[in-house]
Amino acid sequence: MTLFFKFNFNLLCQKILDEVLTDQGINYKVIAFGEIEVLEKLSKQRQQELQQALEAYHIEVVENQKSILVQKIKDTIIDMVFNEDTTVNVKSSVYLADALGHSYGYLSNLFSEVTYTSIEHFIILQKIEHAKQLIIKEDLSLTEIAFRLNYSSVAHLSTQFKNTTGITPSAFQRIIAKRREFNQNNN
Amino acid sequence: MIKKLNNNINFFKTLLYISAFFILLLGALSYRSVSDLTKSGELVTHTYRINVELEQILSYLKDAETGHRGFLVTKDSVFLEPYLNSRERINNNFAELKSLTSDNPTYQSNLKNLNSLINNRLETFKTTLEYENPEDYFDSVKFSNELKKGQKEMDTIRNHINNMIYLENQLLEKRKLDYQSNLVATPLLLFTLLLLTLAIMFLAYLKISKNMKKLNEANESLELFKESANQSEIVSKHGNWTWHVDGNTFNYSDNLYRLLGEQPQSFEPTLENFKQFVHPEDVEQFAHQIEQMMKNVDLPYIYYRVIHKNGTIKHLKAYGKSIVNDDNELILIGTTADITDEITSYKALEERNTELERSNKELSSFNHVASHDLQEPLRKIQTFLSRLEEEEDKLSERGVKYIDRIQNAATRMRVLIDDLLQFSRSNKADKVFEDSNINLLLEAAKQDLAEVISEENVVIKADTFPTIRVIPFQIQQLFVNIIGNAIKYKSKDRIPKISITHQIVDASEDENLNKAKKPFYHKIMFKDNGIGFDNQYAEQIFTLFSRLHNKEEYSGTGIGLSICKKITDNHKGFIKALGTPGKGATFIVYLPID
Amino acid sequence: MQEDYINIALADDDEDDRMFFTDAFEDLKIKSKVNTFNDGVYLMDYLNSEDALLPNVLFLDLNMPRKSGLECLKEIKQNPKFKDIAIAIYSTSASEEDIENTFVQGANIYIKKPSDFKTLKKVLSDVVTINWQYHTNNMNKDNFLLRF
Repeated sequence: MTLFFKFNFNLLCQKILDEVLTDQGINYKVIAFGEIEVLEKLSKQRQQELQQALEAYHIEVVENQKSILVQKIKDTIIDMVFNEDTTVNVKSSVYLADALGHSYGYLSNLFSEVTYTSIEHFIILQKIEHAKQLIIKEDLSLTEIAFRLNYSSVAHLSTQFKNTTGITPSAFQRIIAKRREFNQNNN
Repeated sequence: MIKKLNNNINFFKTLLYISAFFILLLGALSYRSVSDLTKSGELVTHTYRINVELEQILSYLKDAETGHRGFLVTKDSVFLEPYLNSRERINNNFAELKSLTSDNPTYQSNLKNLNSLINNRLETFKTTLEYENPEDYFDSVKFSNELKKGQKEMDTIRNHINNMIYLENQLLEKRKLDYQSNLVATPLLLFTLLLLTLAIMFLAYLKISKNMKKLNEANESLELFKESANQSEIVSKHGNWTWHVDGNTFNYSDNLYRLLGEQPQSFEPTLENFKQFVHPEDVEQFAHQIEQMMKNVDLPYIYYRVIHKNGTIKHLKAYGKSIVNDDNELILIGTTADITDEITSYKALEERNTELERSNKELSSFNHVASHDLQEPLRKIQTFLSRLEEEEDKLSERGVKYIDRIQNAATRMRVLIDDLLQFSRSNKADKVFEDSNINLLLEAAKQDLAEVISEENVVIKADTFPTIRVIPFQIQQLFVNIIGNAIKYKSKDRIPKISITHQIVDASEDENLNKAKKPFYHKIMFKDNGIGFDNQYAEQIFTLFSRLHNKEEYSGTGIGLSICKKITDNHKGFIKALGTPGKGATFIVYLPID
Repeated sequence: MQEDYINIALADDDEDDRMFFTDAFEDLKIKSKVNTFNDGVYLMDYLNSEDALLPNVLFLDLNMPRKSGLECLKEIKQNPKFKDIAIAIYSTSASEEDIENTFVQGANIYIKKPSDFKTLKKVLSDVVTINWQYHTNNMNKDNFLLRF
């Protein structure tokens, strides 16, 4: 008799990971397949124990150097965009290269390779994200927001906002306000 | 009006009282004057009677004297008779005189004196008669003395009587004078009073006749008014009624009967009789509403149906108002109108409206079909075409060309569908006007066109706009269409430049605003340096599907400017176009200021 | 991350559209697993089943028989189990009312189905990468609004 199996490897691996981590008493959250966030500080010893436990299934804890660097790039960009004290007078490419000690070309290629997106795009995304927060929380005018985020004009800001999100800043503001009202009415 | 009439009546009453008083006074005065006249006549008679009595006394004495003398001469006793009678006669006279002058003490004493004088005289007569023979006394000194004494006494009596008569006459004169002054004054007074009364009466007559004339005129116009009211009741199909609630009596106007399909005044106007005409389904409510009408001063209209004897059903509408008249009676005044025609036409209108609504719905679902359901297959055709294009290397040259042609046709169809959808959206009823920042709308429009603006290096110069009350997305669409239009019809030799200006204009001073309904308008002017157009097409370009160029030269559906027209119409504004071929075009949008 | 699969689901009653969709993901370099459902009922039945693999991004056609995309959206938003799913509306029509309404009710992305395969691939790729950014960079998902 021949049996045919159909595996869902994703689910299978997920299940194994879950078992091992729970067995080890580690509090965690699955971010994506193959990426978990440990919600507590793990001592070196516990990290080793975890690695040993996983080795039985031929699962490795990957401490990919590239991933770490990409994360550093992201952190630097987020700090650059959100922390208004970090005044950036130079071009962001120069700033990143200086901050991380690699050529911008290297960083850029690495970033695209890992994230399928460009550093420039990521910067814009973060800036727009910051703009969104300011629009919602701080009740600032677009002129003030444009100034804070180093845009040359309101037009430039709203054009980039629209290009990135497909909607205008005022439509965004309106939708978020309505959504809150809607959620309140439904709860 | 009523007050004025009351005033008039009071005025007449006063005049009547005054006249009556004068006439009464006239009567009293006349009576007094007549009685005075009688009295004065009586006084004269009285005086004359006294005088006559006195004269008689004197004449009796003279008779006695004459008889006495005759006797003395003849000794014939016949002559003695007057003397013998005289005493009795004089006594009679005295009695008469006493009664006549009982009110006058001076006179009484005078009479007493006269009496004693007469007694003396008669005594003297007596002594002389004692002589038997004439010889005895003719020569006798004594006798002569006796005669002389008699003579003297006679003179004294005469004097006395004359004196009394004189006094009496004097009194009469005095009294006569008194009465006469009265008698002269009274007629004058009477006459004056008479004249005054006549004058008042005349005045009253004048006034009354004037009022009568006015009253007649008023009556006449009232009659006319009544007639025209009757007529208007017939024409406007309404009737009037009054209800004296206390006496429970009604008055129905002629036309109220006609509203019930009956001859005027053909039955007794009562509530019961009226109710017999009311539609059975409405009777209860009708009775209830009539009750309400009595309780409240004012009531909303009441509606009910009546059935004519021939079966026709009519819709009536009634309104009543209660008033209290001068006699404190409650009266309900009402109007009842036949609104059957109104209701019929209202129903017809309602039906037509529903029909219109239905056809509108059909139209909008057609729009939905046109936009949505047509888009779907078209999109698939285009997507499949785009996938075919990926495999161009496997196709023949001709195949590639055909695919290109199909792609063009499909693109054109898509633009048409999109534009049609936009046009139907600008027709939609749910238009929300908001106070809008026009500058932001222009900015948004520029963003919509960002790609083509940067491609063509378009230069747009715009004034700063005030806040205007508009339908925001439509005005943005208007900007997109006009600016897009200017870019599409750009001149090939120069960079497209568009200037957008704003000003507020007085409608009476702008030749484009001769049909304007508001006094002031926002005037937004879009001026470009494109290819322009011949001004003879200035009106035509706003009609649906009209194009001035063929598709090969300039793509376009001929819908864009119609949408602009629609949008300005929605805003009760205007749009005008001016063109100079080869130089450029100007579009002017007018939006009303409320 | 290269080894990761991104889970995509699509509910659309149109066969051609489902085909374009899966073809586009096949062409993209992104490693993805695409599940398609023929209408809203099939989709909700799957999502509510116990062993369902919840998608990272769910594409909903609005106009579907039996259960419309909007109804699915409402059900998903009411269930906390689905709170991590990014919802993309994937529709032929794109009236402003539809767009705003679905955003207000919790959709993150609104895609007007493109009429060109290249554009479709570009849009789907953008959606997935931007969603990934929100997913991995602790960005506020409440602010995640994207329109194509």
